[in-house]
Amino acid sequence: MGKYSVDPLWSDITPLPTDEGGPNPLAAIAYSSEYEECMSYLRAVMAANEYSDRVLDLTEDLIDMNPAHYTVWLYRARCLFHLDKDLREELEWLNETALEHQKNYQIWHHRNLVVDKLDDCTGETVFIAQMFKRDAKNYHVWSYRQWLVRRFGLWESGELEFTEEMLREDVRNNSAWNHRWFVVNGREGVPGVKDPEIREREIEFAQAAVGLTPQNQSPWNYLRAVAKKAQMPLSGLKAFAEQYASLGRPDSVCSSFALNLLADILAEEIDGKEKAGQALDLLASKYDPIRKNYWEYRKGQLGLKSSTPEAMVSA
Amino acid sequence: MAILTNSAVRVEPRLDKARHIKYWTRCLKTYLPHHYTGNDSNRMYLAYFIVAALDLLDALDTASTGPERKDHVNWIYRCQHPDGGFRMWPGTDFGERANETNAQWDPANVPGTYFALACLLILDDDFKRVKRKQCLRWLQKMQREDGSFGETLVRGQIEGGRDPRFAYCATGIRHMLRGESAGCISLNGQLVKDFDVDGLVRCVRAAEAFDGGIADEPFHEPHAGYTFCSLGAVALLGRLNTPDDRTTSNLNAPAAPQSVLGWLVSRQTEFTDPDSSLDTEFRKTGVAPNAQHAEGEHVSSSRGDATKQPIHQDPGESVGDSIFDLLVDGAGMNGRTNKVADTCYAFWVGASLDILKCSTLSDQSAVRCYLLGKTQHDVLGGFGKFPGDLPDLYHSYLGLAALSLAGSHQVKALDAGMCLSKNARRRLPKMWEAWAVEDRTDLS
Repeated sequence: MGKYSVDPLWSDITPLPTDEGGPNPLAAIAYSSEYEECMSYLRAVMAANEYSDRVLDLTEDLIDMNPAHYTVWLYRARCLFHLDKDLREELEWLNETALEHQKNYQIWHHRNLVVDKLDDCTGETVFIAQMFKRDAKNYHVWSYRQWLVRRFGLWESGELEFTEEMLREDVRNNSAWNHRWFVVNGREGVPGVKDPEIREREIEFAQAAVGLTPQNQSPWNYLRAVAKKAQMPLSGLKAFAEQYASLGRPDSVCSSFALNLLADILAEEIDGKEKAGQALDLLASKYDPIRKNYWEYRKGQLGLKSSTPEAMVSA
Repeated sequence: MAILTNSAVRVEPRLDKARHIKYWTRCLKTYLPHHYTGNDSNRMYLAYFIVAALDLLDALDTASTGPERKDHVNWIYRCQHPDGGFRMWPGTDFGERANETNAQWDPANVPGTYFALACLLILDDDFKRVKRKQCLRWLQKMQREDGSFGETLVRGQIEGGRDPRFAYCATGIRHMLRGESAGCISLNGQLVKDFDVDGLVRCVRAAEAFDGGIADEPFHEPHAGYTFCSLGAVALLGRLNTPDDRTTSNLNAPAAPQSVLGWLVSRQTEFTDPDSSLDTEFRKTGVAPNAQHAEGEHVSSSRGDATKQPIHQDPGESVGDSIFDLLVDGAGMNGRTNKVADTCYAFWVGASLDILKCSTLSDQSAVRCYLLGKTQHDVLGGFGKFPGDLPDLYHSYLGLAALSLAGSHQVKALDAGMCLSKNARRRLPKMWEAWAVEDRTDLS
């Protein structure tokens, strides 16, 4: 006897078990009897379109066991709004649930709905900080944060400083770099890095990060993107790249990303293709051999011959 | 570089095919353990992994009998929605208690429909029981004004994120049920409209990120899974730009195929241990960035002396070693910049490169070594997410699929765009031809 079948509160409900329709169903799961019972009561109340307090409790129970159930979330939301429930309480429950099920995305969709309806984002950044303590690269959480920034116009409420804080924790956190790009360039109608002052600030920021971790792709990608969006010639980054990778000192390259950038800069120079080829050779043979075939391909695109013809074959 | 091509040095671990077949046969024939309860509402994709894996291992016919496979097909059709499309599992169907007012809680599901059709295709079903016209009409309603697709339609509202996973599944459904024709088609004498292909292409272009990868939405972080879904979708629509195209078309996507390629090849990484921080690898440089940060210094105000520290200064401990490590350990793929490798990304990245016709630009031998030597489970069969992890259906299937793309001949050839065997996909044109004849007969 399960907990619903013995509970007088549920005695009026005839549970509705799932019908697999025949023998040998695919991907059948050895459910616990608790889940099986909960599911059959859920199916019964959904079939009756019941919106009640006991339904809210039941959906909590089911979501805890199967948070990926896509219609139970919609059903719960309808129920909450129908009963005009205190949405702050809902958020508190959601906090626990999200911390337990880090990878689930329905939770965040539901949170969107609730916070949108509340029309108030008080406390949200505090909760997000808790989530980031467990996983500072959680995709759902970063996406949710972007939504919050847009929905509540938080562009200038410490968001840039927040990215700095996250990068101070981990300068290789690419999610934080991406968020910075969004904060600087994602707001409708702002010039972003096309504004010379902002461009300089962002270049300085990324260059400082490279200084700490030269072999960190995120700030290099960021630098290139700033140059591109600001329509600044790549050659403007040449001196900087050469601090980390110089053809004159082929034995002391300290960033494969600098070397790659240098190759691109050289390729744009008059008579620079051969030198670009040398940079690509260094990548292929010494500093990034895992991508050897790609560096050879890039040479081919510059019209240069492959130095190791067997490269493509060995793959 | 002779060392890299010396097969005596790079000893490739082998696929323990018998154990993999055993693993998948167990998944097919016995109940999945209760840990899968959280995936109850995703059963159709679990079903697809099981059937598709046994097909790749060429064991579908030996793992089950003809009558059993008929039951499998019946179960998939049991999940078909009366108004077109498929459910993910029978759990939303109210059976005798179904009525107009509770129909809202029992919608067809876009990924559920893609996986159901793919499963039927692999099981060599003839699609005769598929409600084709209803399905395509429903599919058209699953697209939003902005071109993106949702997951379910509930009371006229498209639910689910603006997510290329749904778009990819939608293009797969369209491909299987319509063939390669675009625009309005006639089905049983009735017109069925196409969905907004241009709108979907625009969505993909808008989500290309500043560093070359593709995200689910504009400004979100690019991700290999979303990159695959986006490329796969436009490829199925015949609207793909590849790096080798002399000119890229504004009507196609991605807008910057060279950047996407650069981002994809950057996903290959030697970092395979999720418990060791990436930072340890860079300790050689003599810089401990976190230690500096811990002292409260600001990124833009402090600068290490790393410029003077080459990453591979001492060939004795760096270059030679790292190449040697590579030979032993292999190198997998990560899903985002600066993350560790994970079995499933060997597929998402490998398949994306394959779609762009650039699969040899990664080190496929290193991918095979990573999968076979690190994440293959040597007792249970299957693949785990990280080295030493227990296998699960998702990673076990995508590991096999990735292995096929990386050139292993121990599994059947994979069609990267649809993530099933080439063999299975080749059955489609015959079905399209049969439908064309039927539809012509209807019109006359």
